[in-house]
Amino acid sequence: MNNLAALPAWAALITAFLVLLGAGLALIGNIGLIRFASFYERVHAPTLGATLGMLSILAASIVCFSALQTRPVVHEILIGVFVTVTTPVTLMLLVQATLYRDRLEEKDPLEKRAAGDTAA
Amino acid sequence: MPDAALYLTILIALPFVGSVIAAFFPTNARNAEAWLAGTVSLTNLVITIMFLPSVRNAKVVRAEYEWLPDYGLNFIARLDGFAWCFSILIFGIGFLVVLYARYYMSPADPAPRFFSFLLAFMGAMTGVVLAGNLIQLVFFWELTSLFSFLLIAYWHHNQNARDGARVALTVTAAGGLCLLGGMLIIGHIVGSYDLDVVLASGDRIVSHALYLPTLLLVAMGALTKSAQFPFQFWLPRAMAAPTPVSAYLHSATMVKAGVFLLARLWPVMSNHEYWFWIFASVGVLTLLIGAFMALFQQDLKGLLAYSTISHLGLITLLLGLGSPLAMVAAVFHIINHATFKASLFMAAGIIDHEAGTRDVRRLGGLFRAMPITATLAMVAAASMAGVPLLNGFISKEMFFTETIESHGNSVLDNNLPYLATLAGMFSVAYSVRLIDQVFFGPAATDLPRKPHDPVIWMLVPIGLLVLICLLIGILPGPTVGGFLATAVQGVLGPQLPSYSLAVWHGFTPALIMSFVALIGGVVTYFTLKTYLSGNIEGAPVLRRLKGKRIFERAIVILSWRWARRIADIVGTTRLQPQLRLLLLIAMLAALWPLSAGALASGALALDVDWPFAVDPSFVLLWIVGCGCALGAAYQAKYHRLAAVIIMGGAGLATCITFAWLSAPDLALTQLLVEIVTTVLLLLGLRWLPQRLEDTGVRISFGARLRRLRDLGIAIVGGAGLAAIAYAVMTRPQINSISSTFLERAYSEGGGRNVVNVILVDFRGFDTLGEITVLGIVAITVFALLRRFRPARVSVEAPRQKRFQNQFDADRYDAPKAGIAAHYMIVPGLIMRLLFPVVAMMAVFLFMRGHDAPGGGFVAGLTFAIAFILQYMAGGARWVEARLRVLPVRWIGVGLLVAAATGLAALVFDRPFLTSAFQYADLPVLGRVPLASALVFDFGVFSLVLGATVLVLIALAHQSIRIYRAMAAAKAAETDAIEEAR
Repeated sequence: MNNLAALPAWAALITAFLVLLGAGLALIGNIGLIRFASFYERVHAPTLGATLGMLSILAASIVCFSALQTRPVVHEILIGVFVTVTTPVTLMLLVQATLYRDRLEEKDPLEKRAAGDTAA
Repeated sequence: MPDAALYLTILIALPFVGSVIAAFFPTNARNAEAWLAGTVSLTNLVITIMFLPSVRNAKVVRAEYEWLPDYGLNFIARLDGFAWCFSILIFGIGFLVVLYARYYMSPADPAPRFFSFLLAFMGAMTGVVLAGNLIQLVFFWELTSLFSFLLIAYWHHNQNARDGARVALTVTAAGGLCLLGGMLIIGHIVGSYDLDVVLASGDRIVSHALYLPTLLLVAMGALTKSAQFPFQFWLPRAMAAPTPVSAYLHSATMVKAGVFLLARLWPVMSNHEYWFWIFASVGVLTLLIGAFMALFQQDLKGLLAYSTISHLGLITLLLGLGSPLAMVAAVFHIINHATFKASLFMAAGIIDHEAGTRDVRRLGGLFRAMPITATLAMVAAASMAGVPLLNGFISKEMFFTETIESHGNSVLDNNLPYLATLAGMFSVAYSVRLIDQVFFGPAATDLPRKPHDPVIWMLVPIGLLVLICLLIGILPGPTVGGFLATAVQGVLGPQLPSYSLAVWHGFTPALIMSFVALIGGVVTYFTLKTYLSGNIEGAPVLRRLKGKRIFERAIVILSWRWARRIADIVGTTRLQPQLRLLLLIAMLAALWPLSAGALASGALALDVDWPFAVDPSFVLLWIVGCGCALGAAYQAKYHRLAAVIIMGGAGLATCITFAWLSAPDLALTQLLVEIVTTVLLLLGLRWLPQRLEDTGVRISFGARLRRLRDLGIAIVGGAGLAAIAYAVMTRPQINSISSTFLERAYSEGGGRNVVNVILVDFRGFDTLGEITVLGIVAITVFALLRRFRPARVSVEAPRQKRFQNQFDADRYDAPKAGIAAHYMIVPGLIMRLLFPVVAMMAVFLFMRGHDAPGGGFVAGLTFAIAFILQYMAGGARWVEARLRVLPVRWIGVGLLVAAATGLAALVFDRPFLTSAFQYADLPVLGRVPLASALVFDFGVFSLVLGATVLVLIALAHQSIRIYRAMAAAKAAETDAIEEAR
């Protein structure tokens, strides 16, 4: 295990800021998930965490481990690439499924609905 | 004789070797087969004759090979005078039978099978007579039963042959089983299975408390084999065999194995009145019944079969008398019976061949058509009847003398002479009937074929045997005297009782009995002649005694009715009760140690103090995990899709727990397994019929009760398992092996990832077994799914899909192929592009497996996920048009590689699966550990990949095959409608 006490203060500050920023963005996205009314709106909210939030946390990770191991640690870029590539797939499939469901139930996808009856 | 051991071994081994060779000849190679079998028997005959000086005067030749020395079991070939005499019969008559069979078998019969079985039987029979070890004797004994079964059923297209073979096998093999029991008790009493030790044990067996059970078991073996009453019924049924088989097995050799065994054990077991009562009474009963029944047979071979039974009864009776002189008579009659009966069977075969029928009533006047055969058969039949100047007369004379002698002054003993004379009368009567009705009288006119004498080589075997009958009958002393003495000395030891082999002993009571039997027999026959020619089947009175019928009833009741009833009571074909039983038994087994008082002693008490401080988020994780598990169980009945998804939640909770508790290997494996199983389950769900939650039927009280019971079982089982797991985990580990693994993983296994080192090195053999099972399971699943026919309701496309297709058809002018074309364009593209990435990931996991979390299993699953993604993105047809998916081959390669790696260690003189390791500098990859375990791990990788993909395509191909099934279902429906009209 890496000894976190060995982390220099400047790196610790940057890491802490970035981690909290990422966590905050993810939290905002999740609040949005609850607050938005229709499924189509809700799809957008969590992407905040999956993009900017994820980037902040990955940046924090890069800073933290680069400082700890005194060499550039950039594995996280791969994580970023894969999350960026695969998250839209999930969302697209979810939306397709919802569109299908609306057709089945003969509802207009654009119609505003009360939260609660569109849970997937 | 030099190298006696070698030649003894050849005697047993040569027929078996010949049998294997014979099996590979072309189907119609009758000549080659006969040459082979003839050479084998003749070689063995010559070897046996050369042994004569070594076995004279009660000497014994032995060859011993270590077999299971720890258990006191050695393979012993042992030849004494008695075994020598039997060997002469086996090989001598065997040779003649082979010669005869060459011309008897039709070109249409498959020759290799016949000669191969015949030679194998010859080897088995030699094994019985040369056995120097009781267990070995039983082994070869059962082998003779087996080959007798195969030979009787040689014409297996014939129902009679099949039935006869089955009955013969059941009776004789069951007897063999009893015999094994008897031999085990003898071994227990004497302390050794070595025949020489047993024979030297004196009165120990007779005086032992277990004598009676031993005797009964041995008697069961001997009496079934020699077709003695009440087991005689199998022999006439065995006559469905080809005639050479009847001549060889069912008159000359195999049926003599029973009396051979009795003679073998005679020195150590006969000195008791039980022996006399059992064998003398069974013998005399069989003698009388057999002779009486033989007279009324219409089938020539049936007549000979009952006559054989009767003569075997005579020998059993002589052995049962327990006097040395009776022993001499028994051995002598064994020899004589083999000669005249084998020749008679061969003659019967010729008559059957030439005339096309064996029915005595239809035959007649054959003397004019086939004079040579008739002459030979008549001489043999006269010998059977006991006519003077033939060998049958002399041994019968000895038999009559022995019956007059007193053996204990019992009712049976006092009446023996009369019973023997009566049997002799019947014996004469059926012999005369055979001669008169077959060869004399008006010539038969309605025969299927026109009879004439066969080729000379078919007559030579009969001629030789008849010549022996004559020689022994006229000059018994010079011809058979030494032979007989040698044989008897093998049983009785060097001191022979005084007997004289001569045709003329003066006017003795035995001579009078002989003449009474002769005259009485002739008179009986001519009195009954008209009756016998009538339309009768079987003997009067005894006709009702149908051993065969009773046997079949017993077999049906035992193996069919009772078996079915037991299966009905204790078995079920339904899955639910099976699972319930399994669970209940497992729970009882777990409760067993608790009931023994361990619970009260506190040794099993659960330590309820938390061993560690609990993190609230961990508790939350577990609440979610447990909630998912409960939800899955709750939804499993009606909402399988939801249940499978919620199950995934529980799996993820487990996965995070592993990671939490610092088990990254387990976490990684759990994650991948979770993904793969969820996808495969989802694929399988498509084919399950939908379950309706509300069917409108009220749930009965009984059903509710059953559900409550099942709920109780589930709760008790789950809670019990949890308690066990908790109890084990909260206890200090005693002598745990894990510290050893941790210490040695790097120093001896060359890997820092202890889990992987355990899997591929320390416990490599376990892993090999596990991947074998995995491969078998995958292939089984594939095989089952290939034959899978979905329920009627699941055949059609599901409602959702039909709706989607309808929508597509309305919306697009030219509907493209399925959902993939419209809705999966972007996701499909990304999935396709990810294939090399995931594959790379698998390689990465594989390469680092020995030192960091990863390894063959995980890599295999990862690679399988790459394939799953392709199938999801493009569909089965699309993928298989572009990728070579050969999962069965991968499984095979994986297993072979893993096994070969293990075997490679043997080349370096190390135990199986020893691994070697060192580091190597590779371009690009840098310094990597190269353990031989890596190759083994590759085997694991390949097999896991193959197994997973095989199950995947087994499921995926259902939707391709289903179109055929749909067409078939539609056709069936149309038919049903047509019919309804």
